[in-house]
Amino acid sequence: MNEAERPTVLEVQDLVVRYGQQTAVDGLSFSISRGEIFGLLGPNGAGKTTTLSVIEGLRKPDSGRVVIDGVETLHAPLAVKAKLGVQLQASSFQSELTIEQIARLYAGLYGLSLPQRQIRERLADVGLQQEITKPFKKLSGGQQQRFSLMVATIHNPSILLLDEPTAGLDPQSRRQLWDRIEGSRKRGGSILLTTHSMEEAQAVCDSVAIIDHGRLQAFGAPKDLVAMHRDDPRVQAVAHGDVTLEDVFIGLTGSAIRD
Amino acid sequence: MTETIARAVPPIGLTLRSLLRADATVLLRSRQAAILNLAVPILILIVTNRGGKLGNPGFLIGMALTYGLLSSALIGYSITVARDREAGVFQRLRVTPTPTWAIMASRLAVQLVANLVVSVIVMIVGSIMHNTTFSFGVYLLMFVVSLLGAVVFLSIGQALVGLVKNATAVNAVGRVLFILLILTGVLGSTGILGDDFKSFASWTPVGALINLFSAVLNTSAWGADQTNGIIACIGYIVIFAGIGIRWFRWDPQ
Ligand SMILES: Nc1ncnc2c1ncn2[C@@H]1O[C@H](COP(=O)(O)OP(=O)(O)OP(=O)(O)O)[C@@H](O)[C@H]1O
Ligand SMILES: [Mg+2]
Repeated sequence: MNEAERPTVLEVQDLVVRYGQQTAVDGLSFSISRGEIFGLLGPNGAGKTTTLSVIEGLRKPDSGRVVIDGVETLHAPLAVKAKLGVQLQASSFQSELTIEQIARLYAGLYGLSLPQRQIRERLADVGLQQEITKPFKKLSGGQQQRFSLMVATIHNPSILLLDEPTAGLDPQSRRQLWDRIEGSRKRGGSILLTTHSMEEAQAVCDSVAIIDHGRLQAFGAPKDLVAMHRDDPRVQAVAHGDVTLEDVFIGLTGSAIRD
Repeated sequence: MTETIARAVPPIGLTLRSLLRADATVLLRSRQAAILNLAVPILILIVTNRGGKLGNPGFLIGMALTYGLLSSALIGYSITVARDREAGVFQRLRVTPTPTWAIMASRLAVQLVANLVVSVIVMIVGSIMHNTTFSFGVYLLMFVVSLLGAVVFLSIGQALVGLVKNATAVNAVGRVLFILLILTGVLGSTGILGDDFKSFASWTPVGALINLFSAVLNTSAWGADQTNGIIACIGYIVIFAGIGIRWFRWDPQ
């Protein structure tokens, strides 16, 4: 399918979010088409999680808007949320519940009354059949990530929002994550994810946005971004040999460590 | 053409059923809450039963009932809400198509049912220990007063988590508030601290409720104190529920 034929499913327009005096997102705009894997990239504190929290309806923007399938999110928050599958950067579930009970709760909240057998199948899909009686906190970091992703996709959402989904995953789980993301895309879903791995972004994202201080620095397909910024002196200064997306990222956002 | 994956908002019945089941499971699994809410009131009954004439059975059972309701609201409900908010449990729930009122209503409903169950058990145990029997009508009135008391104390608990964000602070303030309310209410109602203090105490949440319980359990003792008690309770519900809803924030920090 050609870029132009794909309908836009998610559009962020001139988004501004402030925390008190600090402007975390500063006039950010981008859009995502159906079936696209979109990477939101940026150093620590760039405003990625904040941008996602507005899309997810957790926070009202100070100005700007988010449009999903042609509907402004603030106008129909619940209908919009029903289409989204969300994995937060730091997920937390009631500590007294087992993961089987949590899965059942979230299935219900997305409108599915799944029998126990199906809940267990889904847990087995992500390799958690041994852990069904454990609370979420007693899972290992990678198991928690897998469980969160399973909950996020329990209702086959048309848009998947994943905040650093591969953080802490072993190679097997990471491979499985990409299989799931690919599966979701095949069903017509779109994926918006954040990651700090530029290699990963270059390998799997159809397009990426690099943001810093809440502002868009670059936007496009990874290979186009590399081609476009290859001769930028800031990128040249950090590249060793072939210019990669990571060189572009560091060139555009600087090499200082962020707070 | 594009086949938009149309997805309606899930039916509210299923949403509420799922939330209620989860919240009830949480309550049943937290052993500390069970001890605070049931064992301590029964302990109060045992101690007061042995200590000779601390007051009439209606007053003592009323005190045990009030204690159970207050501790489950200020030490149970508020602390759980503050802890879950800080841990991000509410954030995760809020990204699902669930109205926020349903998240709170489910927790409050489960808490209310648990309160009423505890009240009935305490009353049965109390009547056995104090060798009295209560008519069905008294049980029914006791049920109504328990409900009123539970709503008053949960409103106070809601105001607490509305005004204080940090979970550790909610824990500390909740316990201090709990002791203050119990002391003023109980000491005042016994009359040890004098008549002025007694009439002041009858307007405090705990004092008002103890008066209502003892009037119901002694069947005959309805008077100005009890009318004032009902007025006070309704006032507290309006004020504290108002504060608790107006200033409640869902996000951590
Ligand atoms: N609740 C909050 N209150 C105040 N400031 C906040 C809050 N959340 C985020 N910030 C600030 O807003 C800025 C953007 O934070 P955000 O979490 O969106 O960054 P991020 O791009 O997701 O970073 P990371 O890669 O570290 O996850 C940061 O400077 C952060 O300190
Ligand atoms: Mg983040």
